[in-house]
Formats: sequence, C-alpha cells, structure tokens
Amino acid sequence: MRRFVWLWLAISSLVGAQCALSETRPQYGGTLHVSLHAAPGSLDPASATDSFELRNLTSLLFETMVETDDAGRLRPGLSSSWQSGSNQRRWQFRLRRGIKFHDGTLLTAEGAAAALRAANPAWRVLSEADQVIIELDAPNATFPAELALRRHAIVKRNSDGSLAGTGPFHISDWQPGKKLSLAAEESYWRGRPFVDAIEIELGKNTHDQQLAFELGRAQLIDVPAEQVHRDAMAGYHAISSQPIELLALVFTREAQSPEEKALREALALSIERSSIRNVLLQGTGQPTASILPNWMNGYGFVFPTDANLSAARHAREQVRATPAWTISYDAGDGLSRLIAERVTLNARDAELNLQPTSNSSADVRLARIPLTSDARSALVEVARAADLPMPKIASDSADDLYTAESAMLSSRRLIPLFHLPVNYACAATVKACQVSSSGAWNLQNVWLGPPKP
Amino acid sequence: MRSAVYNSAIPKVINPAAGMASGVRLLTFFLFVLALPLCVHAADWNAPEQQLAHKIVAITGPGAIAVTIDNRSTLGQREVEIVSNGLRAALEATGIRSATPEQAVATVAISLSENPRAYVWVAEIHQGSAAPVVVMISAVRPEGTTLAHDSVPLMLRKTAVWSQQDRILDVLALDDAPTPAHIAVLSAENISLYRMQNAKWTLEESLAIVHARPWPRDLRGRLFSAKDHLLDAYLPGMICHATASAPLALNCRESDDPWPLAPISLTSSAPPSFGTSSAAQSAVMSTSAFFASSRNFFTGALAPSVGKFSTVAKFFSSAAISREKYVLWLFASVDGQVHLVDGVTDQAARLNWGSDIASVKTGCGAGWQVLATSSDTQNGDQVRAFEFPDRDPVPVSAAMDFPGEITALWTESKGDTAIAVVQNRESGEYEAVRLAVACNQ
Repeated sequence: MRRFVWLWLAISSLVGAQCALSETRPQYGGTLHVSLHAAPGSLDPASATDSFELRNLTSLLFETMVETDDAGRLRPGLSSSWQSGSNQRRWQFRLRRGIKFHDGTLLTAEGAAAALRAANPAWRVLSEADQVIIELDAPNATFPAELALRRHAIVKRNSDGSLAGTGPFHISDWQPGKKLSLAAEESYWRGRPFVDAIEIELGKNTHDQQLAFELGRAQLIDVPAEQVHRDAMAGYHAISSQPIELLALVFTREAQSPEEKALREALALSIERSSIRNVLLQGTGQPTASILPNWMNGYGFVFPTDANLSAARHAREQVRATPAWTISYDAGDGLSRLIAERVTLNARDAELNLQPTSNSSADVRLARIPLTSDARSALVEVARAADLPMPKIASDSADDLYTAESAMLSSRRLIPLFHLPVNYACAATVKACQVSSSGAWNLQNVWLGPPKP
Repeated sequence: MRSAVYNSAIPKVINPAAGMASGVRLLTFFLFVLALPLCVHAADWNAPEQQLAHKIVAITGPGAIAVTIDNRSTLGQREVEIVSNGLRAALEATGIRSATPEQAVATVAISLSENPRAYVWVAEIHQGSAAPVVVMISAVRPEGTTLAHDSVPLMLRKTAVWSQQDRILDVLALDDAPTPAHIAVLSAENISLYRMQNAKWTLEESLAIVHARPWPRDLRGRLFSAKDHLLDAYLPGMICHATASAPLALNCRESDDPWPLAPISLTSSAPPSFGTSSAAQSAVMSTSAFFASSRNFFTGALAPSVGKFSTVAKFFSSAAISREKYVLWLFASVDGQVHLVDGVTDQAARLNWGSDIASVKTGCGAGWQVLATSSDTQNGDQVRAFEFPDRDPVPVSAAMDFPGEITALWTESKGDTAIAVVQNRESGEYEAVRLAVACNQ
C-alpha cells in the first residue's frame, strides 16, 4: 500500500508540474511599453472629455480624496476619513499626513482645497488644519462618491501650465496626443511601483498597435470590443473588465409632445440588439435596455432588449406625421459608424425616418458613456453626459436605484443599446496584468518577468 | 450632531472552537456541516423572503397567484431550493394561494439575481393587460465557508486563524494551543492582539506602527516571540519591540538589522560543525539575513555566514533542514531558482517552486519538511510538502489548494507549523491559516 502511495505521489507530482507554475513574488525594475488608440491632448483630469483611457492615464499621476472599489464601495484615498453635518451639506475630509506632490511639496489641506476649487468653481471649499471642508448648496448624502470621480483628482496646477500629482508615477516626458513617458515615484506613499518606467505611445491605430505588440515593441495595448474574440483566437492574452461602458442613443432635447415620445418608443422597439451584437460586436458586450449593467444593479434583465417590430410599427402608426431625424456618431470610431447605420436600417423597418450624419447638431447621437463601479455615481454621470435631469436616488438599495433608473428612462431621451467591456492585451512578460471590473488597469502593480517557458 | 460616514473595516473572525478534544471537534464539525444549510436558511433568508412576499402582496392583494422562480445568481441549487420554498411559504402566510396561470388573477415571475454587494430578488407582477409592476429587495450576501483539502502519504492540514480586509503580513500565536486562542496580527500599520473569549475573538490591543518612510509595494514583515518581552516585529527598514507587561507599548525604530531566518525554537547558538558528526540534528544555526528596506526581498547578506558563504543570491524566502553533519539551507532566489547551500557548496536548481518556502520540523517522515508554494493560474496558489533525502526534492504530500495568491509563508515559533497568508480571489480578504504536516498512519 505504501509503495502504491509513493508511486501515486511521484506521478501526481510529475503531472502537477505540467500544470503548476512557479509562483513568484513581484520583481522590481524594467520599462513597460504601452500603445494606445486614444490621443489625449491634456492630462488634466478636469478636462471635459471622459474615457477609460484618460481615466487610466490620469490615475497613474493623480489621486482622489476618496476612492471606489470594484463593488462600488467607498474607500479612503488621499483623505483617511470623512464626515458630514446632520444636514449633509457640510462635508469634512481629513487629509492623510506626509503625502507629497511629485515636485516635492507637501500636500496640505489648503493645497487640496485649492485644487478642488480650481476644478469646481461652484463649490465652496475651505481648509482647516488637516481638514478639507466642502459646503454644498443642497444636501447631498452621496457626496463622497462624487469626490471619488476622476475629474475631482487633486492636481497641483503650476503657473507654467505643468501639472503635479501625488500618484505612483511622475511625468518625465509629455508630447500631447503622441507620447507619454512616466517614471516611478520612489517615495510614493503606497509604495514605489514595481516597474521603473512606462513608455506610452498614443494615437495608434489598431493595426499599428497589433504590429507593435507582435514585434515586442509594445507589451500592453488596448483592444476594441469587436476585436476581442479575434485577438483571443490569435493567442493574445486579453483581459477584460465587466461590461462598464454604455453605448446608447441620446436625443438632444426632451420630447416635445406625446407623439414624439411615441416615435422614440417605436425607435427603441425597432432596434435588433442581438444581431448587432452577433455581427458588428462579434459577440462582445451585452445588449441592454437599462442604464446600469445587470452585474452592477442585479435587475437589468427586467428591461426587455428584444426587438418588437410589430409593436414598433403600432407605436409609429399612432402618429400622423413622421419627422426626419438625424443621428450622429464619432467619425473616428468605426464601430459607432457601423452601429449607427444598422440602427438607421432598423428604424426604417419601423417606417421611421433616420439619417446618419457626422454633423454634431443631429437630433440624436450615438454616445459611448463610461460608467463607474458605484451605481449611484454612474447614474449621475450618465445624466450629466446625456444632459438629463439629475436623478434623485434615496439610497443604493436595488429598489431605489431601480426607481431612479426607471425615471431616467421614462422620458425616452436615452435609449440604452449595449454595455461594453474595456479590453487590453498583455504580453506574457507582463505579470499581474489585470483590469478591474470598472476598467482600471492599476499599472503600479504590474511587474516584468521572464516569458513563460 | 455629526454622522460619521467612513470607518475602518472590522476584521472578520474565524472561530477555531478552541480547547475541544479532537474527537469532539470532529463530531462537532460533521454536525456543523449537516446543520449548515438549515442555519443559513434560518439566519439569512427568512427576512428577505418576508420582505419580498409583503411587497408582492401589496400589489396583488391576497388570492390565487401563479408564481415562477428563476435563479440568475451564483446561489447553488440547494440554496435556491431553500429560498424557493421559503418564498412560497412566506407568500402563503400573506394570503396568497398558488395557482396555475389560467386560474390565477396575477402571475409573478421572481428572479433571484445579484449585484456586487447583495443578492437582488426581483418580482415582475403581471395583472391582466396592465404594464408589469416590478418590486424587489436586496439581501446581504452571507459569508462563504471554505474547507481544507487533505491527501496522502503525509497530509497537509490547514486551520483558519484569522481574516481581515487589510493585508496580513504575519500572525504570531502567543500560546501553545493546537488551535491558537491568543494571537498577534501584523498589518502594515499596526500589530493587533486578539484573544478568544467565549468562542469569539476579542481585540485586546492595537499597537500602531509609526513609520516615516512609505512602505514598499508587496510589503513583507515578520513576527517573532521574544524571551524577555512579548514580541519583535521585523519590517523593511524597521524593527519594533512590544513590551510584555501592561500597558503594552510598541517601540519602533528605523533599523537595517538582519531578520532572523528561523524561529528561536529551531535555532542553536552553537555553530554547525561541518564535516563532523556532532552537529545537532534537532536545531539549525541561528542565522539572520538583511532585508532590502525599499524592496520585497532579502539582499543575500547573511549574519553570521553559512559556512564559507557570507552572501548568497538575493532571495525571497528560505528554509533550513538540519542534517546529521550539516544544515542544508534553501534560498528561493529572486531569479526563480532555489539555491541549496550547505556551507561548502552553493548549488542552484530550477525546482518550479514559487518564491515562498518554509521549513517545519515534525515527527513525520524524515523529520523535516519544506513547504513550497506554486501557482495554478486558474485556481490560485498551492502548497506542497517536500523532503530532501539528498539534493533533489521528493514530494511527500499532495498539493493543497488555496483560494488565491499566497502573500506570506513563515515558519511559526514552535517550528512545527507554518503560517500561510492568502488573498482570497473571491472576497479580496486576507486569510491567515496554520499549516501543519500530519503523519499518515
């Protein structure tokens, strides 16, 4: 019996060796080479544009007072704790001590207050000892979640136009829209990043990115949603977030009459999301009729996504005159163009008149809206991006979120189509290469190791 | 009046049922496993079942209703059955009678869904041709339970000791019990002392670690019991001493002093006698190593030297095996190799091990085993016990699976067990477990 056991163990050990890899602790050093499609002209988190690429780039440089984890829970960031008065109009954030900007100056409460004031002129921001105090015009129980948004990152804006943050990397070279070189911040308060430097090429098309990846000149590239399955088949190590980007039709104004609302209802009913997903998105993403993805709210499935052409025609027939709508999309985004064209065809099947245009003053636009992992903040951000009235959300219970979301959708100003994941491809040498549910890449945790044997 | 919004997370407690005889513990365990589903049902699902039933009846009123229940969550089949039965019972208690769709005045489609924070149970209520009404409730997720996995011929056993949201660097048992009832937990910012009282862990004291420099990423640290005071904590560039008597105090100072590589119980002050037969088989030389203050590894400098070697390759962890005539040191170096150093030779080998190893001295097998980590990228890390009849490792246990990445593996004070810390992939929490080697009879 004992001999059998030893034999079994020896065999299982050999078999196990084929499956098991040597687990190793992170190693320091090296330069990570990244190639991205995005070409931001500014790294200021307060800039008007919001995208996952910009969020991820700025997160390497700047930090917020409060942070959100993957489950949407608030966590301390530059502030270690916070509290509000009973009216929830006056909020106090206690700043961590000893944190320095990249230029060596100490982050003080007044420095943080100045940064918040500069980015949010409407706020009344004060400092008192180690506390930043923000007084709001109206009670806001969820204000710390607002402060976790990337655009509220603490930035020191120098007179020469340069920016300094407190994040894990500092800028060593910045060529707007072309190249960003970052160096590890040795005294970063959460621990120096593992890699010494990151070289980021910007504004690269998919072909150039893939070529650079295959030639080993780039170790991390972003992958468009429609390319994910193709790249996975090509052997790329693709990493994806949860579906976190909302692709939606956004009307530029409220419906002016019940008839117009009925026509929008007809448009929503006519769209064949499943075929768009299968053909244009190559099976990536999730069709949706809700603002928040189902993984985030748990009830998204109650909003039906199937096209119903007969119901669409019935709704259309209730209205005598059909206006000619125009639909715009981002001209630099091939996927958006294809989806806009397909939506146009679906609309025509319902006898609606929709014309694609690159003119920004269209009646309806196809928008890509990045969400956050905090459901309440995500709804607020969508309302802001779509120019909807700010939702009133009593709490983050599913019931209250559903009520708020239903109210936002009831006007038919917004027609959700898909939730798309954020995707990257990592070389085998890039260890701990992960993207969070919310699309963050956390490159401070990445380290470079030898390729797999 | 102020309302605090953010508070530090409260560490979760693992109750080891200390003090019971092993037979009683085994019986208790089986009873616990058998009773678990009932407990979960009674404790966790009753309230949400009642809430949803009341919301449904508020819309439909009492009467004949057709109910369907669909699982869209990660709940297992058994739990879905429990919840389904509970929901039907709760609906009946509110005056709703189950009926076929043809006989019913309303149909209710209940979906058991979830989001990152809670289970979300949704009821879509259809009455006649009216638009469906949707009601829902949220139910906080119950904590998961993990059971250890054992195998032959030596068995690795793990006993859950502690878990918390913050990274655990090391756990030191302050008593000699098989299942510790008094522990010190080393985290980045404090050392917390907990005592088991009335089957619950109670925080005795939390001693802050004051440090001027930021900690390195992948922070590591180690606790050692001390003879004349409570404990010593070694952190990168810092050493802390905790006093033994009340009031407890933690005195920390910046220091590059080397870290002991083995606990006192395994060490001997006598130098090893290389090439002679007098070296102690039950002890290893008390050797220390310098830790890089801004990194996650030992520099390789040893004090005192191991035979003729005062430096070895930079390494993450070490293990010692006492032999009849010498001590064999194993260093898991940063380049992925394991260096076997006996004082005369330094032999490098690729063993496909991870970077965390630890030795334990047991009454099983050859008496000394090396616990080594490895990685299964799909499922998490593993630990397996090895012996070294000569210079080649022989596996003596099956690999024990862990639910995530092992972030620490240190030999405990008594030398016969080790503490492993794993970051659970599901929960994100750090879990400290005691690893013991059990002899197979």
